Amino acid sequence: MQIPLSWYLIVSAILFTVGVTGVLIRRNPLIIFMSIELMLNAVNLSFVAFSSYLDSADGQMFVFIVLTVAAAEVVVGLAIIVSIFRTRRNIDVDDMNLLRG
Amino acid sequence: MTILTWVLLMPLLGFIILGLTGRALSRTGVLIIAWGACGLAFLFATVAFFSVLGAPPDSARIDTMVYTWVTSGDFQLSFGLLLDPLSATMLMVITGVGFLIHLYSAGYMEDDPGFWRFFCFFNFFIFAMALLVSADNFLFLLIGWALVGLASFLLIGFWCQRRPAVAAAQKALVINVIGDFGLMLAIFLIFTHYGTLNYFSNDLGVGVFDQAAPGSITTAICLLLFLACTAKSAQLPLYMWLPDAMEGPTPVSALIHAATMVTAGVYLVARAHPLFEQSHLALNVVAVIGGVTALFAATIAVFQLDIKRVLAYSTISQLGYMFMGEGVHNYTAGIFHLTTHAYFKALLFLSAGAVIHALNGEQDMREMGGLRKRMHITFWTFLIAALAISGIPPFAGFWSKDEILSSLLAQGASGGGRLFYVLWAIGLVTAGLTAFYMFRLVFAIFADNYRGTGPVSRTREDQEDEEEEAPARRRAQAGRFYIHEAPGIMTIPLIILAGLSVVGGLVGSFGIFGIFAAWHPFANFLSPVFMDVTIREASLRLQWLSTGLSVGLGLLGILVAWRLYRRGFQYKENKNELYQLVMHKYYVDEILTALLIQPLLWIGRTADRLLEGDMLDGGSRGVGWLLRGTSALLRRLQTGYMRNYALAILFGVVLIIVYYVVRG
Repeated sequence: MQIPLSWYLIVSAILFTVGVTGVLIRRNPLIIFMSIELMLNAVNLSFVAFSSYLDSADGQMFVFIVLTVAAAEVVVGLAIIVSIFRTRRNIDVDDMNLLRG
Repeated sequence: MTILTWVLLMPLLGFIILGLTGRALSRTGVLIIAWGACGLAFLFATVAFFSVLGAPPDSARIDTMVYTWVTSGDFQLSFGLLLDPLSATMLMVITGVGFLIHLYSAGYMEDDPGFWRFFCFFNFFIFAMALLVSADNFLFLLIGWALVGLASFLLIGFWCQRRPAVAAAQKALVINVIGDFGLMLAIFLIFTHYGTLNYFSNDLGVGVFDQAAPGSITTAICLLLFLACTAKSAQLPLYMWLPDAMEGPTPVSALIHAATMVTAGVYLVARAHPLFEQSHLALNVVAVIGGVTALFAATIAVFQLDIKRVLAYSTISQLGYMFMGEGVHNYTAGIFHLTTHAYFKALLFLSAGAVIHALNGEQDMREMGGLRKRMHITFWTFLIAALAISGIPPFAGFWSKDEILSSLLAQGASGGGRLFYVLWAIGLVTAGLTAFYMFRLVFAIFADNYRGTGPVSRTREDQEDEEEEAPARRRAQAGRFYIHEAPGIMTIPLIILAGLSVVGGLVGSFGIFGIFAAWHPFANFLSPVFMDVTIREASLRLQWLSTGLSVGLGLLGILVAWRLYRRGFQYKENKNELYQLVMHKYYVDEILTALLIQPLLWIGRTADRLLEGDMLDGGSRGVGWLLRGTSALLRRLQTGYMRNYALAILFGVVLIIVYYVVRG
């Protein structure tokens, strides 16, 4: 039995919303990163679903690019977090408001 | 390159060289350049003059295009030089008298620290004035007109450490700009209605202004031109700057404010005579203003105590004569009087300068007297000049003044109306007054014994500036004061000018002596310029009447002066109201201050308080205030919390999605 496309998309939307909520409400940058990964993978899921539904490889190509970008982003992000922790001994995002106008 | 190019180029070069290197040059070096420049200009002008003199009347005008300045479609502005009898005469007067005054100044300015600067400005003036009279169109006439104004400004304020000199220079400049504005408006009108600014259209050689424009336009052009003349030539109502201009060094007064620059107005009217001939109203205005000014200035001159101011008012009065002559179509007489006036008025100023020089800067005639015994040459030259200006035959002034007066009478007699009889009478009265105040001056300076108390500074204001006085005056204060004849370099120009004042009038008309009736070389020479003008001739009897009366009144004036002042000049305060009125120059300066200057100052101060503070600055200040206020509000948005930004992004994305969903 074929699972309809809409189911995949619903799962993807739920995952994305969970990710957004996590980014907005959590104060630990590591968790925020995980939430971002969740958002990215939600998008990946819909890409793959569309790819299969449309019988086209384009969506899968995008997924690979997204994965690469996500990996690079995590590397940079974690490096920043480590260096912030070294200088401030604290990585609560609510304390990071140096750019306030 | 025409010969006129060289006349212009020489003083310009002198000015540039002196301006760039004058500071480093020795006095001799400065003199070589300045004299050389002016002398060569005089030489070239003489060559030009004789080339015109020999030419037949129909080829007496050479109009050379030198340079095209602007070409835009049909519109063309070019710089051309016009050599005709009128410009040749003017150039001879300017460079000739100018050269003599250059010589004289070497002695007069000997001790001045600004020696090179003085000669630099002098050469500049000769250039500007030559440009004014030799330009072949109104635009370059205007440029020359403005440049001589600048030269006048620089030289009146030459002693720029002295406050009165600076104030006088500013006054001269401001009043002259009123005239320049009139000239500019006139030029705009000429361009709109005649399509060109050249006096003569180049190819045809005919006067541009022979084609008629609407009468009211011509009148407007003429009146605006004459407004410029009243400023430059110190006529009512814009004459006030000339007496104050006497703050400049005396050679400046002689060259610029007596012989040449102030006659630019007379030249302009003569040059634009085809226009004036088309407007009788404008010509009558010229005559009336000239007449009123002549009498007005002469009455003031009678009561002045400063010898240079007497001469200044006398210049205004004589310029009035010239305009009177031009006002009755006799442009030749106006230019003739301009020429003879240049000789004897320059001579008067230079002689007065020799006196002032001998007395170390004293200009008050109460502090003079008895100088005849110490300054023989100056006495004789001054006397000749005084006789010339008083119109005593056979001196130069007689011939030119006589022509103007008889033209006035002729205009009246041949149906010109009562106006011209009145002007003629004014001219006669002025002639008498002129003789009186000139001989009052002669007796005050030269008769009796010396009344002065030795070295005295020039004016009250000067006592504050004592420290910055010229070295001559400082030396005098050290006690080495003695009255001496001027050095040779000063007396030689005096003698030459005295010679000219004696014989300079003999080129005029001898019409009153029947047998010489054909002798009028000056009028002949100028006739190609004024070919289209008909002058009314008075009958021989009327001419004799006019001549007799003017000479008689002149002699009467001398006689009265002799009766009053031969035993020396006594100044008595007189409480008579009329006396006080004239003594204070009709209170013109005071009235102007009250009516014009005070209100202007008040407007300025009020505007400063009201407009500057809140209205004008308010605008720019308001902009700054607004920007600061809005940014203070906007910066609140920038919290620095990342999640706020993330939320904002999310919100935006949701909005976009909602938009597309709703739109379908």
